[in-house]
Order: sequence, then structure tokens, then C-alpha cells
Amino acid sequence: MDSQHLNPSSLKSRFTARFLRALIKINAQKPISSSSPREIFQRYRRIKVAADKSMAYSVRSRRTWSRATLWKLRSQSRRRLASSGRRSSIKTRTTTTTTITTTSTNHRAAIVEKTSHEKENKEDHVGLAVQAEELRELVPGGESMDLCNLLDETAHYIKCLTTQVQVMKKIANLYSLE
Amino acid sequence: MQPCSREMQAMNSLLNPTQQIPLQDLQINGNRHHHQQIHVPSSSQFQYPTPTSTTHHDDSFLEQILSSTTSFPWSDETGPPNPEDNNNAGFNYDEMVLASKLRQHQINGGAAGNPFAAMKMMLMMQQQQQQQQMMLAGRPTVASAAAGGGITTNHQGGEGSMQALYNVFGDGSLHGTMQAKSFVGANSATEMTQSQGSGPTAGEAVTAPEKPKQRVRARRGQATDPHSIAERLRRVRIAERMKALQELVPNANKTDKASMLDEIIDYVKFLQLQVKVLSMSRLGGAAAVAPLVSEGGGDCIQTSANGGSHPRNSNGDQTPSANDRLTMTEHQVAKLMEEDMGSAMQYLQEKGLCLMPISLATAISSATSRSRNPMINHENPTNGSHLLIQSSGGDGPSSPSMSVLTVQSATMGNGGLEGGAASVSKP
Repeated sequence: MDSQHLNPSSLKSRFTARFLRALIKINAQKPISSSSPREIFQRYRRIKVAADKSMAYSVRSRRTWSRATLWKLRSQSRRRLASSGRRSSIKTRTTTTTTITTTSTNHRAAIVEKTSHEKENKEDHVGLAVQAEELRELVPGGESMDLCNLLDETAHYIKCLTTQVQVMKKIANLYSLE
Repeated sequence: MQPCSREMQAMNSLLNPTQQIPLQDLQINGNRHHHQQIHVPSSSQFQYPTPTSTTHHDDSFLEQILSSTTSFPWSDETGPPNPEDNNNAGFNYDEMVLASKLRQHQINGGAAGNPFAAMKMMLMMQQQQQQQQMMLAGRPTVASAAAGGGITTNHQGGEGSMQALYNVFGDGSLHGTMQAKSFVGANSATEMTQSQGSGPTAGEAVTAPEKPKQRVRARRGQATDPHSIAERLRRVRIAERMKALQELVPNANKTDKASMLDEIIDYVKFLQLQVKVLSMSRLGGAAAVAPLVSEGGGDCIQTSANGGSHPRNSNGDQTPSANDRLTMTEHQVAKLMEEDMGSAMQYLQEKGLCLMPISLATAISSATSRSRNPMINHENPTNGSHLLIQSSGGDGPSSPSMSVLTVQSATMGNGGLEGGAASVSKP
């Protein structure tokens, strides 16, 4: 297992490196001893976002779910920045992002339409539509895929999630030992 | 000389009137060795397998003539061969019969596009030729050649099919040019029968590659419909992916696709939940807790709590006192929350409890209720700096029963709490 971890190009090591860097940044930003639960939750949220983002970055854009995750996170952060009042420098950025989002949503809508139409045409005999829908909700970016690709994405997503959990567990263990 | 003329006349009867001229020349000349001066029309669409050897002069001569007769629009003829040619004994009459048969067949519209039917016709002709060969001595070659020529010229409209026919004759494994020779030379009956025998099969084999690959030869009991093929392919791919997923997901011994999908869904939910919880736990000593217990509810709590404050609880507390304890804790926490959130959190931590959004709690309970591995970290509770859910130590795959209490707190409106509600849970 250690040798696998030492492999510099594996998913695990990439994710670990990125996540640790993000953690260091977060810990540097806020002092560790923040007792207010609001801050606690904010911190939790930040860490979770950092974990997801670093995982998605490690996968780059090779997978639909990673692209969807990155897109979602970026739009969320943009919305946060916009709502926090710093509009001067963000105005231009928001316009571009809105155009991007609209195009992507249109694209997505088109894809969803097409796939739903295809679904009607080629109906799966086994009738797994309900579970497929549920899986689509779970896997990010899974709305616009037929069952075949969805299963593929799910397999990769599960693999990445297990890696993420393993690494985070190990880090938490390290933390707890202090 | 006379046979020559008769041959010529026979050919004439079959040929286009327009092309009779060179043959009439031949007739006039009456010399076989003039055959080399025959102008072969450029349209040589038929690759008629001319035998290389010219052992029989008449054969080669006739074959050249036959090759020159490729572009005959048989249908353009005004009528069957002229009745005046009937003077040439029964030979022409037989030819006429065959020709009329061919015409009828063509009129029926089946001949031109159907090489198989053409094959049949040719075989019929061959059979008749055989009979004729028995009857007529010295004429069989001409007759067969003529018939062959007539038949071959008949189908100049379907060039591909004609090529198919010639392919049949040309590609025959055993025969090849032998077939052609036998067709023309009429050597032995056995060869003819062989050619006839291989004819239908070859014709059938020819039709398959002849059509531009529209169909895939299907296995028995399966349709060749492209839609069903696509469906089959899709199902195969889905099955492959399900197999791959089966290896990733634990407890994947389900054979049913639907239950397998359910397992997959649960596992994905569980993993996502794990990430959330782990990220909550890695606050790195977030809540620097000064251990303190509020006095108000401490008494009642202490009386009811025996080992409850110890984090590594066993699962045995299913007694009603535990529930009472929990409700009391709940009230206590609620009271604390109204005053100061921080103290409430500390109180909880001391008890080995944690505060979490209801969505998370329900997700955990639903996930663990299905005999899922309790995922959480076992932290040293005396540290007091971690905010997490304690799992009962050493618990394997069996699920700890969780009792989830919900505390509605108005104070926890914002602050990043999802759903605006909190729950207190104790493993």
C-alpha cells in the first residue's frame, strides 16, 4: 500500500497532495480555535469543498462527473463572491460566467432532451428507470447520460470516492494522534 | 462450309440485326481464319472466361463472337428470331424455344435482377443443351455456346448479376475455367452435372456478398433487425459495466440487476456521507473546548447518566432509561443553545455526542440501518477537541442501532447549517 502511495502519478497521491495543500491553506486562514458553531460549520464546509475540489482536480476533466463538480463549485464560489459585495472586479467576470452558464445549461437541456427522447425510443426492457434516475441525482453531472455511460461514470466515481475516504481517514488519524 | 454457314445463321438469329453485318461478312467470306478481323465491340462488360487454349478452332471462334455480342439489348429485339431461320432444321427451333422462354422469363421481370433465376435458366439451357448434344452430333458446341451466349447476352441489363454469374463460373473452386470450357465445350456429362450442382450453391453464395452488405447473417433464433441488434449491443455493454461495478461495491452478491443498482446507489450515498463526516472531523482541533458543564441540567443528567458520558459506549443500552437520558440531554442541550451555542457544543462533546444536520443524521441512519460498516473514525474522546460521532469500538459490519433525536432550534437558522435544523444523535 505504501508503494502504491508513493507512485507519484496515481490518483491517490495526486489527491493527497492537493488536499493537504488546501488544508494547510485553510488552517492558515482561520485560527484553529474557533468555537462558534457557525464558524465550525463554515470550516467544515470549506474542508469538504476542498476535498471535493481537489479530487475533481486530480481527475482533471477526463470524466463527466469531475467536470460537473468543478463547474458547480466554481459557480458556487462565484455566487458567494458576488453576494459578498465585491462587484467591481467581478462584474465582467460574472457576465462571462453567466454566458458560460447559459450556454452550458442550454447545452445540458438539449442533451437532456435528446437523451430523454432516446430513452423513449430505446426503452430498457428491464425497466431500471427509477434507479437510474436516483443514480443520476447522486453522481454529479449524471443528468445528461444514458444508462450505459452513467454506469461507467458511477464506477469511476466510486473508485475516486473510496480513495478520497481512505486518504481523509488517514489524515484524520494523523490529526488525532497529536 | 455448310456447317459454317449454319452456325453463322444461328448466331445471326440470336444477334442483333445491326450486328449482322460483320457476320454476314464472315458468311460471305466463309473463312474461319477471318475471325480475327472481327471487330470486337468495346463494351466488354462480360468477362466471359475465354479459354486460353485454342485447341478447338471453332470454340475460340465462337467465343470471340460471343464476346462481341455482349451489348445486345435482347429486349430491344422486335421479336423472336426470324421465322425464316427456321429453315435450319430443328436446331434453330430449339434455339427459338429457348429464346422465347428467356424472353418470357425476362418479361416476367425476374431474370434481369436475379442471378439465381438466371442461373436456373442457364441450367435449364444446359440441360436442354445436353439433350441436344445427344441428338445432334457435331453441333453441341455451337448449340451450347449459342445458348450460353444467348443467355448471357440476355442479361446485359444487370451487369453486376452477370458478373456474379461469371464469378460463379470463374470462382468455382474445382472448375474455374473448366466450367467455362465444359459450358462451351460440352465435354462430359459429369462435368455438366457438377457445374449444375455447384451452380445453385455458388449462386446463393454469390448473392450474399453481392448485396452491399445490408444484412448480417444472424444466428439461429435471433433477429437481424438493426434495432434489435443495437438493443442487444446496448444490453451487453450495460451488463459489462454492471459486472465492473460489482467488483467495486461490497456486498455485491446480488444477481438481480435492480437490486444490484440499489446496492450501488446505497454505496454511493454512503461514500458521499463518509466524505462529509470526515471533513467535519478534520477540523484540526476546531472547538477548543474548555470543559464545563452547565449547572442547570447537570444534576438530572448526572443522575441518569451512568456510563453514558463515556464515549466508547457499548450497544447494550437499549433500556428505556437510555431514552430518558437522551430526552433529558436533549432538553438540556436546547436550553444551553438558547443561551450560548458554544457551551452547548461543549456539553455535547463532553457527553460524546455531536450536533449534525437532520439530513446527515437521517442519511447516516438509513445507511447504517442496512448493515453497513460504520464508517466513522474512532477518536480519542478525552482529547475533547474533535467534534464527531463516536462509533462503538470494534464494531464490525453490524450496524449500531442509532437513536436520533431532533432538536428544533430557532437559533440555528443560518450559520451554514443545512436545513436549519439540528439533531442530536448518540450511537
